Amino acid sequence: MVIVKRRELSLAEKLYLPEIGRALSLSLRAMFRKRVTRQYPEEPLPTNEVTRGQPRLVVKDDGNIACVSCGMCEVACPAYAITIDGGETDRAIEREPVRFDIDMLRCILCGFCEEACPKDAIFMSNELELADFSRQALVYDIEKLKRPRSALQKRIDYVYRLNDRWRKPSSTR
Amino acid sequence: MAETLFYALALAAVGFSVGVISARSPMISVLSLLGAFVCLALVYLLAGFQFLAAAQVLVYAGAIMVLFLFVVMLLNLTDLAKVAEHPTRALGLPRVALAGASAGVLGVLALLASANVPSGSADPAMVAQGFDGLEPIAVALFSRYLLPFEAASLLLLATMVGVIVLAKRQRGAAASGPAKEAAAVAAASAAAEPQLEGAGAR
Amino acid sequence: MPTLPLWAVWVIKAAVIYGALLGVAALMSLAERKVSAWIQYRIGPNRVGPFGLLQPLADGVKFIFKEELIPDGANPFLFRIAPALAALPAMLAIAVIPFAGEVELFGQRTNLSVTDLPISSLYVLAVGGLGIYGIILGGWSSNSKYSLLGGLRAAAQMVSYELSLILSILAVVALSGSLDLRVIADAQQAPDVLWNVARQPLAFLLFVVCMFAETNRHPFDFAESEPELVGGFHTEYSSMRFALFFLGEYCAMTVMSCLATVLFLGGGAIPFWPEAPWWAALACFLAKMSAFLFLYLWVRWTLPRFRFDQLMNLGWKVMLPLALLNLFATAALIALEVY
Repeated sequence: MVIVKRRELSLAEKLYLPEIGRALSLSLRAMFRKRVTRQYPEEPLPTNEVTRGQPRLVVKDDGNIACVSCGMCEVACPAYAITIDGGETDRAIEREPVRFDIDMLRCILCGFCEEACPKDAIFMSNELELADFSRQALVYDIEKLKRPRSALQKRIDYVYRLNDRWRKPSSTR
Repeated sequence: MAETLFYALALAAVGFSVGVISARSPMISVLSLLGAFVCLALVYLLAGFQFLAAAQVLVYAGAIMVLFLFVVMLLNLTDLAKVAEHPTRALGLPRVALAGASAGVLGVLALLASANVPSGSADPAMVAQGFDGLEPIAVALFSRYLLPFEAASLLLLATMVGVIVLAKRQRGAAASGPAKEAAAVAAASAAAEPQLEGAGAR
Repeated sequence: MPTLPLWAVWVIKAAVIYGALLGVAALMSLAERKVSAWIQYRIGPNRVGPFGLLQPLADGVKFIFKEELIPDGANPFLFRIAPALAALPAMLAIAVIPFAGEVELFGQRTNLSVTDLPISSLYVLAVGGLGIYGIILGGWSSNSKYSLLGGLRAAAQMVSYELSLILSILAVVALSGSLDLRVIADAQQAPDVLWNVARQPLAFLLFVVCMFAETNRHPFDFAESEPELVGGFHTEYSSMRFALFFLGEYCAMTVMSCLATVLFLGGGAIPFWPEAPWWAALACFLAKMSAFLFLYLWVRWTLPRFRFDQLMNLGWKVMLPLALLNLFATAALIALEVY
């Protein structure tokens, strides 16, 4: 049990009016302070390379994606959001996905696919907005997932930097 | 035009008054009374007594009826429903006799008053300023009619004190029963609380 | 332009003034949200129209399309009529507010008010005071404990503060020697006469406090009291009837602000410019009225609600004795010819 001792009010406080005046001046000054509201659609949230948005497939400079449909990301995905059907190709890498779908409604933006990928084909972008009129429209296929390398460069550099830290032997640090 | 309006308003006032005593729900009774007051105020207005009309609405409709409503909202309506179930009890012989006697006294008073209307001897100030000037009303109220005015306010004060005394006595009687018990329980639980907390700490 | 018949002038004046009243009430619903936003470092509604100015229209459309619910066990007649009873008196009370003196407009000479009564200050109080019935009946007829408590509180609060309100106005009336609002306002126009706010500071203070209590606004909004009573008297209301309660509240606030302007700030009087044209006086009147309306909002978003016993203590033990004392002192000073 806590006994709170009430402070004896001074005369000015008992009169209410001086205190009301103080409160009013406080709120009047508050009216001219800087606004904290963010006008969201026009003023999007600031993002940087650490932002883990929706996963996207990197389009290399030759116009192809790096994915060889190995299925590592599909296995790593804790939400079963990724579906891959592999196929053959005449390019040197021999295999490429015929179908690479990510159900964005299932994706939890954990970034495991990015970690799992051995070919640096999938990276987390800074895109966070997701809205449509049907669920089906939010299952993204390859064409919707493709992003040019330049758009993802910052994130790619960041992931490399992060991974380099672990690759260095601890004795040299 | 004015005559038609007057009769319409008078009829409405009578209708509302009947509503006051015939309505089952006390809420409707109070609202009917309010309607009757407003009709009366409009009759005053029709007769050219603007101040009287405004005062009627301000005092009766604005303040006193709000108090009535307040009381009605606090009433225990189940008791009233019991009365409605036994109309014979509500309309027992003593009550009818009492109501008849008061109505008789009021009627006699009204007759006396109507016989005593001063004809053509209105206050010269009233004639000069109209019957509705503030000054004639104030002068009449605070000189010629001071005694009845003060007597009425004294009566109201006495009623108020009486009501408070009656209500207090009832509550005092009730306090010996369940309220005292509740207080005892509260005290006991307050005493038990530190022990319980101590047990919890251990 | 030929002189219009009197009834036509009246109809036009009534239409303009009531239209303006509803417009002000609608704007107040936006201003309430804007001011609350500013005080809380936010921006407030700004999507509908420039600066959100069309927000009240959007709200109105929304209210009209909402479903109307009448709770089980409610008294349907009283439940339906209560919002109208709450909104109507305030709209009627604006009729006698003298916005400006005699003006010549489109060839018509007329006073800028719907009508003039020799007892207009009493009329405002009498008719405006009836608005409480809408709140009480709405609370009672809803068949809900929250609504009933809200209605009860409204009734108790109204009775407690109406007295102080009337007594504070009476001091001003005694000073001007008339119940006519126009006479009271004109008496303060003279260059060597101070406004009533300077001659009757205590009455002004009491009036301002009672004005908040009379319109059920913070810090006296016990009838609504959303943390304890959900919504108080309007808990069970929905759709346009709910909106009518708010319309009534904003109209009542507007009328009270007009009344305060006329009684204490000299109506449209502009200091050091006694022969101002009517449009300047009207603008000045509206500016003073807006200042009071802003005070309503400013106080609402600054002060916490009183406790009910504090409300009653303040009303009966502080306000009423002060108001009586003030009236007595004023009467004595008038009798001694100090004023």
